[in-house]
Amino acid sequence: MSLLELTKISKHFGGVRALHEVDLAVDPGEVVALIGDNGAGKSTLVKIVSGVESPDTGEIRVRGESARLVSPRAAAEAGIRTVFQDLSLCDNLDAVQNLFLGQEKYGPMWSGRRIRRHVMEEHAHRILESLSVKLRSLSTPVVALSGGQRQGIAICRALISDPAVVILDEPTAALGVSQRAEVLDLIHRLRDQGRGVVVISHDMKDVRQVADRVVVLRLGTRVAEFRRGEYTPSDLVGAMTGAHEGDEL
Amino acid sequence: MSTATTSAPETRRTPAGRAIEMAARGHRSLPVLIVLAIIWTVFYSQSPAYLSFQNITNLTLQIATTAILALGVVFVLLVGEIDLSSAVLSGVCAAIAAGLAVNSGLALPLAIAVAIAAGMAITLVEALVITFGVPSLIVTLGGMVILQGLILVVLPPEFTVSVAGTSFAKIAGTAIPAGAGYVLAAMGTLVFAAYRFVQYRERMSTGTRTSPVAVVVPSVLVAVVLFGGVFTLTRQRGLPMPVLIVAVMLLIAWYFTTQTRYGIHLYAVGGDREAAQRAGVPVRRMVIYSFLILGACAAIAGMVDASRQLGVSVTSGAGPLMLNAIAAAVVGGTSLFGGRGSIWSAILGALVIGSISNGVQLLGLTTEVQYFATGSVLIIAVAVDVVLTRGSLWPGRRR
Ligand SMILES: Nc1ncnc2c1ncn2[C@@H]1O[C@H](COP(=O)(O)OP(=O)(O)OP(=O)(O)O)[C@@H](O)[C@H]1O
Ligand SMILES: [Mg+2]
Repeated sequence: MSLLELTKISKHFGGVRALHEVDLAVDPGEVVALIGDNGAGKSTLVKIVSGVESPDTGEIRVRGESARLVSPRAAAEAGIRTVFQDLSLCDNLDAVQNLFLGQEKYGPMWSGRRIRRHVMEEHAHRILESLSVKLRSLSTPVVALSGGQRQGIAICRALISDPAVVILDEPTAALGVSQRAEVLDLIHRLRDQGRGVVVISHDMKDVRQVADRVVVLRLGTRVAEFRRGEYTPSDLVGAMTGAHEGDEL
Repeated sequence: MSTATTSAPETRRTPAGRAIEMAARGHRSLPVLIVLAIIWTVFYSQSPAYLSFQNITNLTLQIATTAILALGVVFVLLVGEIDLSSAVLSGVCAAIAAGLAVNSGLALPLAIAVAIAAGMAITLVEALVITFGVPSLIVTLGGMVILQGLILVVLPPEFTVSVAGTSFAKIAGTAIPAGAGYVLAAMGTLVFAAYRFVQYRERMSTGTRTSPVAVVVPSVLVAVVLFGGVFTLTRQRGLPMPVLIVAVMLLIAWYFTTQTRYGIHLYAVGGDREAAQRAGVPVRRMVIYSFLILGACAAIAGMVDASRQLGVSVTSGAGPLMLNAIAAAVVGGTSLFGGRGSIWSAILGALVIGSISNGVQLLGLTTEVQYFATGSVLIIAVAVDVVLTRGSLWPGRRR
């Protein structure tokens, strides 16, 4: 059974057709790459799955059961966590506050529901270390951090609640060589833990390296799907740009 | 001159840039403390009576209303909204409380509760309209005008309620005996030290770097401030009740903003609404909470003021109170752009503004001077805020 299954998802923004009857399934222990040209609708699909936008039509199933992802919280409760393209960190908060935002740990009623900062700090240390994200201080507002550090925090945040499905929108875009390798490695680890992973990327090398399956979007519709080892880079580019259709005519 | 650069390399930071970053990071109270020291030095050099026990006690009484209202305004500023109506609202709530307690003979605690509930109900309506999508500037501007009408409705036909000689006057008139004041100071110190100790133990348990110095030094500092404060303020009659009210409110607000997840959410909403929303923070609910807190603060400010002025009239909450409260919050270091600042800015900013007007009156200077000084301090404070928010001294450069 698929962890996540989208059927005939459509979404319009005013007159713009961002998505048209898109199907997508993610199985446990599988990495699905979602590729497409700028404006193909990838981020829109991500926002729908993460509860930020709601689809005009279509169905979402989580572990076979119909789900209504009306809010980010609902999506998180369904076990879906997202790293957004723009990271969505609060610049004025520090690393720990950002990591646990919306899922803070706090004490029981009789203790005044005081947040358990020390527990969160320790957890943050562990999770940042596991991803080799190096921060000088956990209590600096993240606005002062580098792009790679911010990216690292955003990814760690998605993992804190131990989600079944992790969605990463262009996770390597802001990274240097070694951190990129680190993130790709992490994606493999997530898969080996039996999670479903959706990765959006413009980098064909990354896609070939991590994806078990590649789904291609063009102008809001799903135009092709390839399995690992069954495609060449030019197949992907062709599907993204529609060049092959021209050839066939 | 350099032109706008969008991505200056991280390492090339000037000393000024680093100082700005440090100030933006959490030592935001430092500039206002320096300003306060300058103001006090200037007035003290003109008249030693300025820092007499009596005048300091007067000063704390004068700023109590502004400080309480500013505390509410801080909550609203933190979530990135603004409020212009709470000063008039404080007048309305005072009119309700005084009317019930004095004219209708309702028990004082009940009258106070009704006034606070009324204040919160009114800001709740405002907050609902704001979360519906109307800008808070407009909602509270309109709200201010409506409330100016409402105070005429709430007041009796003669448009004033005198509370002289009633239990209502005791709210501000009560003086807590020095002995009890010292007991409170001791309790405050103990609670603070205990809090620091718990924090120390927690950090030890998770192996975070810490040391007993982090318990002792701040506790001694707090003891000095509390005992010094009680000593200074009890030279006349005893510890004035409004001082205790402000202290208790600050304590609650401190706990709420720094020790609970609601506090983090408050800052998150002010910092980046979209990001907070995506992280599952109930953004609209946090905005509503802020306005509810403002409503309660406005009601308390209004009642303390009425009790001190011995009455309520159509001019209650009018005049410079609203602008002073906003100015206090901003001068104290709370950003107009949301997400930055702390509850201490309410009391520190109110102290700055109150110190200026108190000094001007003490020296017998003209009112113009007070306006010029207060206005200038406000503009300078916002300029500092702009620099801290932008992260660089000059426009066109970002970090
Ligand atoms: N909030 C919005 N309002 C109006 N139009 C939108 C909105 N969000 C997306 N769109 C439109 O929907 C289409 C798909 O956008 P989307 O951001 O999903 O593309 P993308 O595949 O993520 O592109 P990129 O590779 O540049 O990130 C675009 O034409 C875009 O202009
Ligand atoms: Mg995108």
